[in-house]
Amino acid sequence: MPKEELEIEISPSGKVTMRTIGIKGSRCLDYADLLAQIVGREESRQLTSEYYQAEATVGQQSHVKQRR
Amino acid sequence: MSSVVVVAPIIIANWPAITAAVTAAVATMGFAVARQGAEEHQAATTREEIEVEDSEILEAAAGTDRELVVERDGLRAVFRRDARGALRVCMEGNGYSKAQMRQIGQDLIDRVTQQYVYHRVVTELKNRKMNIVDEEVTEDRTVKIRVRNW
Repeated sequence: MPKEELEIEISPSGKVTMRTIGIKGSRCLDYADLLAQIVGREESRQLTSEYYQAEATVGQQSHVKQRR
Repeated sequence: MSSVVVVAPIIIANWPAITAAVTAAVATMGFAVARQGAEEHQAATTREEIEVEDSEILEAAAGTDRELVVERDGLRAVFRRDARGALRVCMEGNGYSKAQMRQIGQDLIDRVTQQYVYHRVVTELKNRKMNIVDEEVTEDRTVKIRVRNW
């Protein structure tokens, strides 16, 4: 099973940056929402290539099922 | 890596939670708690007031004024809940310029905010049964935490 982790950095002024590692697709957004709920106001959010790759895989699987 | 999110802190807490954060944070700058409760202050030649942005101190059930005084080498920082419910810090002392006081006061506020955020993040992660597998403080005082959800 791939390693799933959160890397959280709390800056000296209290600003928080969180990176999700190995968490596929939109599940990583759940963690982003959770962090915003805990800490305060979301300033920025970046989705990396892994997020989109995972979403594409899910989409292909869904398409195959429809053709059956 | 699949996403990166940046979140600015908002302090929303009751007075005991603020007191705990202040007490833990200011010690790292050599300050110590002088006393708690509303009392008259001694005269100081220089004062500087700083409001903590994005803060809300929840009113105590009794509705009484609360304040916490910390000191270092004759320099006092008075943390209190202002009339609008925000956290405010009043720096008082002799032999310091207003600019020096503002800088020290902002450093105190930053450390209190970081301490508050750290405690809140760790508490909420543990409440959700998430495991902290590594933790370190870098030279620039950034706290790094690695978390696994199993």
